[in-house]
Amino acid sequence: MSNSIIDFNEVSFRFPEDLTPIFTGVSFSIDAGERIVLFGPSGCGKSTLLHLMNRLYPSNCDGILDGSITLFHKDAVSFKPGEINQKIATVFQDPESQFCMPTVEQEMAFTLENFGHISRLEMESRITNTLSTLGLTHLRKATIQTLSGGMKQRVATACALLMEPEVLLLDEPLAHLDPLTARQYVEWLNELQVSKSMTIVVVEHRLDLWGTFFTRAIHVSGSFLTEDNPVSSAVAFPKRSSSMEEEVIFEAHQISISINNQRLLQNISMQLHRGEIAVLAGPNGCGKSTFLKTICGIYNKSEGSINCVGHLPGYVPQSPEHLFVTQRVSDEIRFSNHSSNEQISDIMERLLLDEIQDAHPFSVSHGQKRRVVIGAMLADQRPVLLLDEPTSGQDESALLELFYLLDLQAKEGISILIVTHDMSFAKAIADTIYLMKDGELTGRFDTYHFWNQTALLSDHQLVAPVGDYSYAY
Amino acid sequence: MPIKMWLHDMNPSMKFIVVIVSMLTLAWFFNPWTPFLFFIGIILFQAVFSQLNWRLWGLLMIPIAFTAIGYLWTTIVFAADTSGEILFSWNGWTVTDQQWETSLSLAFRVFAFSAMSFMFALTTDPVKFVMSLMQQLRLSPKLAYGVMVGYQFLPVVKEEFTQIRHSHRLRGIGAEKQKWKRIVGIKRLVIPLLSSAVRRAERAAFAMEARGFTGEKREVFYEPISLNIRDGLLSVLLLILLIGCCLAGWRLS
Repeated sequence: MSNSIIDFNEVSFRFPEDLTPIFTGVSFSIDAGERIVLFGPSGCGKSTLLHLMNRLYPSNCDGILDGSITLFHKDAVSFKPGEINQKIATVFQDPESQFCMPTVEQEMAFTLENFGHISRLEMESRITNTLSTLGLTHLRKATIQTLSGGMKQRVATACALLMEPEVLLLDEPLAHLDPLTARQYVEWLNELQVSKSMTIVVVEHRLDLWGTFFTRAIHVSGSFLTEDNPVSSAVAFPKRSSSMEEEVIFEAHQISISINNQRLLQNISMQLHRGEIAVLAGPNGCGKSTFLKTICGIYNKSEGSINCVGHLPGYVPQSPEHLFVTQRVSDEIRFSNHSSNEQISDIMERLLLDEIQDAHPFSVSHGQKRRVVIGAMLADQRPVLLLDEPTSGQDESALLELFYLLDLQAKEGISILIVTHDMSFAKAIADTIYLMKDGELTGRFDTYHFWNQTALLSDHQLVAPVGDYSYAY
Repeated sequence: MPIKMWLHDMNPSMKFIVVIVSMLTLAWFFNPWTPFLFFIGIILFQAVFSQLNWRLWGLLMIPIAFTAIGYLWTTIVFAADTSGEILFSWNGWTVTDQQWETSLSLAFRVFAFSAMSFMFALTTDPVKFVMSLMQQLRLSPKLAYGVMVGYQFLPVVKEEFTQIRHSHRLRGIGAEKQKWKRIVGIKRLVIPLLSSAVRRAERAAFAMEARGFTGEKREVFYEPISLNIRDGLLSVLLLILLIGCCLAGWRLS
């Protein structure tokens, strides 16, 4: 008998609302103890594959499944609801929405209660043991909502491991973590896999943060090729020539802000030139978003001054749909009524919004939503664009699209300030890097002299881009 | 356990049932004395068996007092039943003793009902309440954990609400001078909030199911909510208070 525990044989899957299957004729098998990554761009069906492995699909979406899936040498259909989840546990990508109880202990107890046959004493000892092997004992009574994203992901993993599963599935577990936290999580997972010798299957669209973690990659898009010992490579961005001009179009001088008697920002000064692309980076909660919201006028500054040519800067939130206030894309661009008709049609054309001008802004893709927001900001005659975490959770093609989009805007004379944790993106696009920590700017660097300062980077919860990591010295 | 913690520690389902029974019973009494005495009784009961934050309680009672006075006033002025002896008349308005009694009864009823609700709300942990409903009153786990997830989402939704308001402020919405325009603008906030709530709910449902949640009745609880003699004692005391008030009201009027 073979060692394989998950077997897909000629599997096709189609969602009931779609006309064409999301994939057809997929065959692969996974052996016990392997570390697999299901690799591919967003929307290629890799999460669907994962949901077929833990039996959330097809029953939860009425999907149409052809072919056979064998789990632990048994036909997947023959498992009772909830039965397979004792052997195959899952951790999802969003740390905010995978918990239902207030404290870590109660959350873990929820998992154990689900299986119905475990006595209270046994629950007690399992929770204690799991927490101590994972080094999380101090969090036992902690309220989940107060934990950081990285810790939430560890708690979610702890909940998954309580059942002592043979397979651990992870659905883009790093998507919402900053790079250093993500790297720490991967190291933690590595030790865990070595000590427990589980099978790990991860859905991921970027490998650069995983290092040499995986033993095998399955490329989900197209051919389902497998590749042994995949090496992580950073996204290959094209080379960009700076479009920065002499003229300063935005200047913030000694900005401080206090909200509810709490000093959030301290004496921040910054200049942006026409056509400049700057990146603002720093640990979570250091005040980056607060700064963006202050200079575009959402928050009132307590001290300091802002000089800006024309209107205040425009702001693109991490979820672009937060800015939408109308029912049509073209109304969205026209909303503020600051531009003439010619200017608006020019913006629509430049941002490729013509084809979706009658669509509802909520129904277009994420990249299109961002273009709509940028269009709306340009139509407001805002000379500076502020982007809050536009790279988080984006796959390679989305990052490239963003790269070209921003590069084009900069060439048109717009200044851009981006808050991001993604240093390979920052390296590719930025003219200038600003670092921030605890509400203060800790430095301004131009991109040539920045990337080899590993200590400075990790001091700000950042990780140098993979490609340069080796030859930076 | 200190006596001041008894109400906080009482089994939430038991407390809930007693509160419902008291409310339904009080609804049948139209004299002013029963709700008045019960109101006083509940306050004393809380003073003995709970660590109440009286400042908060007082603040919560302010709108209740206004409502009660409103009831009193409107029932006196617009009473349908104008029989009985005339107590006093002024400028063509007459107030009979019947009218006066019904009005007072209604006003005190507002006080009694609110005092009872606050007693429940201020001494009960919502998580324990849902868990107890599931354990003692056989509420379906699907519903119980559904409520729990919703409860966990509250702070997240609040945060998102703030984010959306901030973004809208940038587009000149929410800063309008006229109040009515701001109220109309709320509609714009609801759509993005709902759309993300639906997505989040689906993710939470998947996460729960992936951890073996099927919605079946559960056998073993890690934190069983107990039902003990003290719960019985408190319930009996409350019921004695209720019956006492009913009898007293019936005798006094």
